[in-house]
Amino acid sequence: MARPDLLHGTLDLLVLRILALGPNHGWGISNRLQQMSKDGLTTSQGSLYPSLHRLETQGFVASEMRASDNNRRARVYTITPVGRRRLATETENWEQFALSVKRILNGT
Amino acid sequence: MFAWLAACLRKVFTRRRAESELDEELQYHIEMETRAHLARGLSAAEARRLALGSLGGVTQATESVRAVRTLWVESVWQDVRHACRVLRRRPAVSVAAVSMLALGIGITTAMFTVVDALILRPVPFHASDQLAYVLMFSGRQGRNPGPDVLRAWQHSPAFANAESADTGTAGISVDGIVVARRISHVTPGVFDMLGSVRPILGRLFVASDTGNGILLSEDAWRNLFHADSAIVGRAVTIDGTPQVVVGVLPAEFRFPSWNTAIWQAVSLESPPASSPSRIVRFASNVPRLDALRVATDTARAADPTVAQFSAQARPLVDEFLDPYYKRAVPVLASGVVLVFFVLCANVSSLLLARLTARQREFSMRSALGASRGRLIRQAFVESCVLGALGAIAGIAIGWTLVSLSRSFLPGAFLLRTLNPVDIDLRTLVVTSVAGVVATLAAGLVPAWIGTRLAPDASLRVTERGGTETRGARAATRALLVGEIALACTLLVVATLLVRSFINLSSADRGLDANGKLVAMIWLPKPAFPDPAARAAGARRIEDEVRALPGVQHVAWSYGLPPEGGWTQSGKWQSDAPGAAVIQMDVDGYTVGPEFFALYGIALARGRMFEPADAQGSVVVSERLARLLWPGLDPIGRTFSLEDRGTMRVAGQVIGIVKETHFPSLDAKLDKPQLYRRFSAVQVPAMLSIACAPTCPKVDVVRQLVMAIHPSIRVSDIRIQVLEDVYFEQLARPRATAALSFAFAAIALLASAGGLFSVLSYAVARRKREFGIRTALGASPNDIRQLVFRDGVGVASTGLVIGTATAWLLARALTALQYGVAVTDPITWGAVVGLLALTTVAACWRPARQATRAELVVLLREE
Repeated sequence: MARPDLLHGTLDLLVLRILALGPNHGWGISNRLQQMSKDGLTTSQGSLYPSLHRLETQGFVASEMRASDNNRRARVYTITPVGRRRLATETENWEQFALSVKRILNGT
Repeated sequence: MFAWLAACLRKVFTRRRAESELDEELQYHIEMETRAHLARGLSAAEARRLALGSLGGVTQATESVRAVRTLWVESVWQDVRHACRVLRRRPAVSVAAVSMLALGIGITTAMFTVVDALILRPVPFHASDQLAYVLMFSGRQGRNPGPDVLRAWQHSPAFANAESADTGTAGISVDGIVVARRISHVTPGVFDMLGSVRPILGRLFVASDTGNGILLSEDAWRNLFHADSAIVGRAVTIDGTPQVVVGVLPAEFRFPSWNTAIWQAVSLESPPASSPSRIVRFASNVPRLDALRVATDTARAADPTVAQFSAQARPLVDEFLDPYYKRAVPVLASGVVLVFFVLCANVSSLLLARLTARQREFSMRSALGASRGRLIRQAFVESCVLGALGAIAGIAIGWTLVSLSRSFLPGAFLLRTLNPVDIDLRTLVVTSVAGVVATLAAGLVPAWIGTRLAPDASLRVTERGGTETRGARAATRALLVGEIALACTLLVVATLLVRSFINLSSADRGLDANGKLVAMIWLPKPAFPDPAARAAGARRIEDEVRALPGVQHVAWSYGLPPEGGWTQSGKWQSDAPGAAVIQMDVDGYTVGPEFFALYGIALARGRMFEPADAQGSVVVSERLARLLWPGLDPIGRTFSLEDRGTMRVAGQVIGIVKETHFPSLDAKLDKPQLYRRFSAVQVPAMLSIACAPTCPKVDVVRQLVMAIHPSIRVSDIRIQVLEDVYFEQLARPRATAALSFAFAAIALLASAGGLFSVLSYAVARRKREFGIRTALGASPNDIRQLVFRDGVGVASTGLVIGTATAWLLARALTALQYGVAVTDPITWGAVVGLLALTTVAACWRPARQATRAELVVLLREE
């Protein structure tokens, strides 16, 4: 079940960005993604949860089970300082990448 | 790093809680998504369906999260548990595989302990490469330096310590009977010099023990004194004088020879007549050559008689590294390695057969998403589990073999080494390595080939469809060919060695030294000041001894056969025209007139010594005659020896006697003999007595001789038992032959077993094919022929390769063979015949099984 690496890293980047705005749980992040991209991106939530757990394993986010309304507990994720630094680095890399692609596409 | 480890451990322990929390998390998501859809106005059922769909399948999602969160270790552990379940399902195969691996690892472990004790680390003393015997060598003869030299060496910067030790035989009085045992007279500091010596009772020597202090060996303490715990401090009578027992040394301590039973502390001024060996420990900060030069100068300054001599060192290690073992043990070790690989090949084909039977399981796993690498890892983990079990069982087998070998092969291999054969940390390391190698050798190939899947394999309904995959078939056949080749090689080697042993043990030794009474007699200078007095004394001794009942021959000599007198080494040249100068060592004896008759050494040509003979008359052995005068009659001829640079005539031949063989028939170890005439008794001389039917008791003779004059000393008096002398020589080839035979048998049985199991398995898979053939009109004979052709094809390929390998190997083994040529037709014929018989026997039952295919049953299975 290998995903192309680009998407892997891109999803992680987006999730970090969203968590940088504030702690959230999985469903909330998925909604926010949809909302912020103005419906341009709908991730299969099947890849969202592995991404979140991967980020947690790598130490970029921390999580805990919190009680919510409707009697269920939800796992809420918070970005860590290491995660913020990672977000900054990856954002810069992504912008560089996008710039290079644009140049090639527009160039002669 | 530690944080990561801590996190891993935490994950392992909280797994169940984590699973339920994951469940909750995903359920929460589904709930929220459902609510959102409901809010948009969809029905409850529709909302729920969409919500479940959006997650992409709860199971899938859970699985992908698990894939992210599972540690590598956890998944391997999963594989191990699955492997144990699989192996338990087929106990027969698992037990067979584990036992073969265990046998292979066990014999490798046992062999390593032997090689370790004999070759790698034969001497257990501290820094044993610094220990050496030092003697003064003048180019023609060697001499052990006297006490003045030793004292000078003790203070010399060249040596850290210098001590002395000699060996002889002494009589211990036990319960009124005198038994002869080997005794060693040592200076007290010798144990400190050797290092790492700890007594099991009492203490080691101190300087004040000289003259009245002995140490017993553990063997003597247990056998002669019945492990008496109050032995320390008791007085024991040695050679008539009581000595105090100071301690007991452990059985592993075997210095200076393997059967030393008593150590007696003597001072530097040891009894004037004996010439003990000097052992030194070289100083670690002085280069060897410089140390020897300093030692030579010191010795010359201390003792003017050695002015022409220079010091030479003989490392202690070399005393105990028998040249036979140096050759035999590597051969045996390679035999063990070969058998090890035969057993691994067997296990490999067994595993391959099992894995190819599980094609359906693997295709199912592949469909569920396992990669090829994952499948290979799973198959390999099964081999690893087998390997681990095999290693553990192998240690047990190795330990049993080592304990058995200690009781079964005492003289041959074990007593000649200073290091006890035992299992220690190094051996365990070797066992683990062997286990790893076995697992890799047995597991990799099956894992690779067994998991190779045909694309539609899982769609087939019947498991027994068709025959084995091509890859599996090729691999199995190749393994079998290898096994049979190895078995063939080992058989050839074993047969050659067995026949060599038979030749050796029935060989004519050339003399009869059995039952002769021999003694070393000392006529000290004070009582016998000149040669005339000594000759008179000797004559009296001879007369008295002849008067004893039963005595047939009495002879004086220097040198007692078969152990040899003095070694004459150097350059020899015969007087034949154009003779070359030969460098060789010759065993020299100086013998009285009745010597040859006494020892049964037959005269071949010429005559024996007569009183009128000149001093230079010699009698040579047949081999020496052949070497110096090939094709000529040596009677009356002379030969020269190199003496201080020039060749001087050293003797004239008056007779030729039959060759005596010692230590064995091995031409490299056995030396030719030279006999000179015994003219006058020096201070020490050796006396041999032959009697019929048996010689009088040793005690009687000793007392008789000592009664002639109070200062006469008798030492080393014993009745020679020829078997004792030749014991080691025969025991070694016997043990070698027995061991190689055992290895060959194991290899042959393993190959037969491998061939049998592979063929049975192939027949089982081809049952449909055989059924159809029978239905189409094939006779049982045709079916049998199919199976036989398979087996015989494999066996003949293996035989051809094995014969070629054995041919090459046998040339390398000529050193260990006596009287058996490499091209011996009986050997090769026997081996080929035996292998053919084994092949037929292995193919028999599978062939019969093949003809029993029940067509109706097979059709019903479809």
